[in-house]
Amino acid sequence: MSLWVDKYRPTTLAKLDYHKDQAAHLKKLVQGGDFPHLLVYGPSGAGKKTRVMCTLRELYGSGVEKLRIEHNNFTTPSNKKLEIVSISSNYHIEVNPSDVGIQDRVVIQELIKNVAQVNQLDSSTQKDFKVVVLTEVDRLSRDAQHALRRTMEKYMSTCRLILVCNSTSKVIPAIRSRCLGVRVAAPSADEIVQMLQTVCKKEGLNLPSELARRIADKSQGNLRRALLMCEACKVQQYPFSADQDVSEPDWEVFLRDTASMIVQEQSPRRLLEVRGRLYELLSHCIPADVIMKGLLQELLQNCDGELKTEVVQSAAHFEHRLQSGQKAIYHIEAFVARFMAIYKRFLEEGIADLF
Amino acid sequence: MDEDLFDLEYADELDAIDDEGGPDDEYGGPKSRRSLHFTTPKSKTSSNTDTTTSDSKKKTKVSSEVCDLNNSTLSAALSQSQGELNDTILSEDEVDGTPVEADQSVPDSAVRNGQQNKKRSARDEDRLDNEVDDFFDSLPDLEPEPKRARNSAHGRDDADDWDGPPSPPRIPRSGRTSEHNRPHGSHRSETLDDQQNRLLEGYDFERRRVLRAIPDCDFVPATSFEGERVYMKLKDETILEREIDGMGKLARSSASLLPVSISAMREHLEDERHRELLQEAQDLTQRVRRVHEDDTDQGVEDMETEDQENITTEALWVERYTPKCYMDLLSEEAVNRMLLHWLKQWDYVVFDRDVPVVKDKQKVKDKDTSNNKWKKFQPEVSSELDQFKRPVQKVALLSGPPGLGKTTLAHIVAKHAGYNVVEINASDDRSVEAFTNKIEAATQMRAVMGADPRPNCLIIDEIDGAPQAAVNVLLNILKRPEGAAGTTKRKKKEGDMLLRPVICICNDLYTPALRLLRQQALVMTFPPTESTRLASRLSEIVRQEELKADLNTLMALCERTDNDIRSCLNTLQFIRKRHKELTLRTIQTMSVGQKDSHKSLFSVWKDIFTMPRPKRNRFVSIYDLTEGKSDSLQLNAASPTARFQHILSLAQATGEYERVTQGLFENYLEAKSKDPHLVGLNLSTDWLCFVDGINQYTMHKQDYGLMRYVPFLPVAFHMMYASFVPPRISFPHVQFEAQQQMNKVTNLVASMLTDMTPLVRKFVNLRTLTLDLLPPLLDILQPTLRPVNTQLYSSREKEELAHLVHVMINYNMTYRQERSPEGQYIYVLDPNVEEVVRFSGLKQRRQLTYGAKQLIAREIELEKMRRNEAANFSELQTPSRIPNHKQSLEAKPVREEKPRTNFFAGFTRKKREQSTIPDEAQKEKKDKAPEKNVLDTVIWFHFKEGYSNAVRKNVKMQDLL
Repeated sequence: MSLWVDKYRPTTLAKLDYHKDQAAHLKKLVQGGDFPHLLVYGPSGAGKKTRVMCTLRELYGSGVEKLRIEHNNFTTPSNKKLEIVSISSNYHIEVNPSDVGIQDRVVIQELIKNVAQVNQLDSSTQKDFKVVVLTEVDRLSRDAQHALRRTMEKYMSTCRLILVCNSTSKVIPAIRSRCLGVRVAAPSADEIVQMLQTVCKKEGLNLPSELARRIADKSQGNLRRALLMCEACKVQQYPFSADQDVSEPDWEVFLRDTASMIVQEQSPRRLLEVRGRLYELLSHCIPADVIMKGLLQELLQNCDGELKTEVVQSAAHFEHRLQSGQKAIYHIEAFVARFMAIYKRFLEEGIADLF
Repeated sequence: MDEDLFDLEYADELDAIDDEGGPDDEYGGPKSRRSLHFTTPKSKTSSNTDTTTSDSKKKTKVSSEVCDLNNSTLSAALSQSQGELNDTILSEDEVDGTPVEADQSVPDSAVRNGQQNKKRSARDEDRLDNEVDDFFDSLPDLEPEPKRARNSAHGRDDADDWDGPPSPPRIPRSGRTSEHNRPHGSHRSETLDDQQNRLLEGYDFERRRVLRAIPDCDFVPATSFEGERVYMKLKDETILEREIDGMGKLARSSASLLPVSISAMREHLEDERHRELLQEAQDLTQRVRRVHEDDTDQGVEDMETEDQENITTEALWVERYTPKCYMDLLSEEAVNRMLLHWLKQWDYVVFDRDVPVVKDKQKVKDKDTSNNKWKKFQPEVSSELDQFKRPVQKVALLSGPPGLGKTTLAHIVAKHAGYNVVEINASDDRSVEAFTNKIEAATQMRAVMGADPRPNCLIIDEIDGAPQAAVNVLLNILKRPEGAAGTTKRKKKEGDMLLRPVICICNDLYTPALRLLRQQALVMTFPPTESTRLASRLSEIVRQEELKADLNTLMALCERTDNDIRSCLNTLQFIRKRHKELTLRTIQTMSVGQKDSHKSLFSVWKDIFTMPRPKRNRFVSIYDLTEGKSDSLQLNAASPTARFQHILSLAQATGEYERVTQGLFENYLEAKSKDPHLVGLNLSTDWLCFVDGINQYTMHKQDYGLMRYVPFLPVAFHMMYASFVPPRISFPHVQFEAQQQMNKVTNLVASMLTDMTPLVRKFVNLRTLTLDLLPPLLDILQPTLRPVNTQLYSSREKEELAHLVHVMINYNMTYRQERSPEGQYIYVLDPNVEEVVRFSGLKQRRQLTYGAKQLIAREIELEKMRRNEAANFSELQTPSRIPNHKQSLEAKPVREEKPRTNFFAGFTRKKREQSTIPDEAQKEKKDKAPEKNVLDTVIWFHFKEGYSNAVRKNVKMQDLL
């Protein structure tokens, strides 16, 4: 009895619905006995954690599903107290080190050592290693990633790491080379539609295929979102109708409006208004790179072919700076200003060509 | 006229000032309110003039001649030259009426004399050209020249100082005299003109009095500047007397030739001379005193000049030209007066003198001059006294930028009011104890042994740097009497009450530490000194220090130092060390005398967005223009170079780069600039990104090497966005607010995450929660529920409700009752993730009804209780199900001691056996001894408390029975 997302989440590798060959590979990997470190990456909502959980179950049996939440306390060398939440079973521990910000190195060092230095007692019935799942590895600081390198080798005998991240580009090569990369691609629209249909069938509902298609399109390959949207649709109106409107998250609508504001007018005054909206987005915890990406997508729809390259290039430029800077608002605004300049020049050239 | 009015209005104040003149008050006689009363330089001036006189003896002695005239032939009526004398006397009269001018003109007159002398000599020479003889025939041959040799007959060395402008041979006399007179009192001059005209009718203007050729009678030779030799005839004294007599008769015949009688004039002149002598004497004594102070034992007058030279080179000018008495103060009159007035209100407490006199006058004056302008300066000084006859505000707080003379004012006013000044400043220890001791010592005690019987006045300088605790000490002392109002009078020995005035001085009035003090104190802010006034004062100093500088240059200096007197003087002294002359050039190129002034953030932003107006460059000398030097143009404030430098130094001085940048970021879009292609806009955003990168680097690496490039951002912004009409600058708070909002949202989500069910928690994190999960979740949580009793729900509806409740519990959400500001009760989500999901300006979502929410909240509570119960039940299931009271303790079966199997047994068997034997023996003993006892007696006492085993030992019941 829970949300569909949680209710119909597959628990074993065999039950996985898509990327089945990959699931088979994982199964072989577990059965082969030589289980390497894993680096699981892929877009959000593609089922990375589900896969990891299934793998763990394959490794240890249903015992891994007895989860508990623990609050771990650490003290930094500068005597600052840190608290981090970990989710653990008897066989594994899952933690998101980037929760503690720049102090993540301490967590990596302390936590993994604690886990890894304890040998599994009864090696005959169990695997002789524990698993540490680290999520959002791409948000780890450099220091923490470097701290991870040695740990991975040193405690190989007693613990395996499963790193989960969205993109490997922010993981240092040293770590990438120590892991077996597992890419979990987002499901295709067809797969999502199929998933929605199966879930609805299990719920005893009748989902029109048009609606399923529309939901799948709007979800942008994010299965979690697709399922949640579907459920929301069900709550709003059941029985389903094919042309029922699928509610989008507010922030997406807001972002789209912002983009259209930029296209409408290019002036410092407008930039000021846009800045207000950007601030609102940021203060709603929408990550800056998501804003950047969303804006770019919307803005590109208004650009001609030649313009596109220029806009994308400047977006890449500012996105890079955004990552290396502190204040996101400066960089997003800089991107908007650059787009305004490019677009305005384009418009003026267009007018000039008319005469 | 203003002066007169002023004197009238403030007569009583001035009286108060006068009668208060303490021992240090060197001021006596009619003197200007604000004249420079410099002691040392005076003699120098006189020596100056001495040299000039010797140079042009002929001319300067004219004046002394008039004096002579007074002395010798005063009884007789004066003839022709009387007009001139009148002139002088009239001006003397003016001197009497308004002492200001006379006194100020003391140094000036020397110069003026010099100039006049030159003119005169020129004129003389003109006359000499057409030399005519005829000596005896004319009557008014009283002209000064013949007699000037006798000038020192009466030992009047100081006659030089005496300034009358008795220019001897003024040919178009009537015109000139009237000209001269008119400014002083035209009505008098008119009558005088008449008289003079009458007299002049008989005067032969054609006659020459100075001859080139040697005259045939007695003569006196003289040599002019150019080396021309001229001769003047000598008259017999008797003839002269006769002539004078004749003149006198003539004068008497015309009824009122003089408005004042000769005797009066004489008296007046005598007075004047007397006064000057006194003045001279005072100066001398002061000089002598100072020489003593400087530990040079030569108190002799002739050594004085040398000593003075030494002092000139050694002492700081700032010290030397510090005002010595109230009259010398250069600060705003209203402030001076206000402080003095406030200090006077302490009179009753401190001196046992009645204040009411002053008070009454004050009141009367208030009525009289209710519309007066200075009244608005001091609405704060309330004339009321509290129950102990102290002024209501016990502390005066002087504030203002440095170098305006706050400390000087406080010292002088305190001295003036008859107090002994005790100063605490930043150089002293200002810890709480030290501060308390100092204050107590200064306000409660007085010197018993010392020669100085005056009461103390505490001056706390630079109080804005004092720690908060120290200021609190002062505040507590101020508050004390209010608490112990009744008792203090009886218990005088406590002496807690503040009985002495305290003057605090600070630069920044709005330091947090002073917040409370500000409310209790009489706050006086110093307006900046006007640069013209400062410059004129500087010019006097400069002259006395023999440094050449014109007023323009000094004005430039004042402007450069922002009218900081101290800074000006220091700069001047510095320049004097090396040069004899101060030019505009030196000032413009000089780097001294500039303060690294800390400006407020707002003024910095304003400066950045404001285009400096191209000033009428009054400091460009002709020299520069003719040379066509470019740097003089560059120094113009509106030139790009100057703007660049200005803004850069401004930004560097501010120090708060982060804030400055943030302020620019939030304001630059509102600045007006011509930027059709948005090039500037892109440039400025690039700058912002660049600075952000630098900041990140600096913070991350703790390497401040790149930090130096940050202040160039304001420069860039200034160059792009400066305009004559700057935008209204608002304080940058948007970033801060956004940050706060973000923290709030983060905390909300985090609180939601903490208590989620682990199975759910595992698959979400903050990012997915805000982006993907929450928006649809809020929709899911709002099913249509029929507003009827749950019992009537169909099984499907019941399922839906149960589903909803489960979801909400899993995601750690519930509805909480809240009272809205309007007084209505509403149910809100807890944690209220609505705030995370909803954006402004988008369509509102459907909301559940109050009843539905209430229902859900209740169901959630029930479900939670059920779950808890289940958990408890399952816990209880595991142990035995016998009720507690029926359980009985059962002795655990004593397990047979297992022989320990040691892992290393094989290796260390022998040792083991040795060590285990005593061990086991002991164990057996322990086990057996209590068992025996237990078997023997069922009950025994065991003392758990006590300090020794003597008490703690077991006592058998039978022993007690």
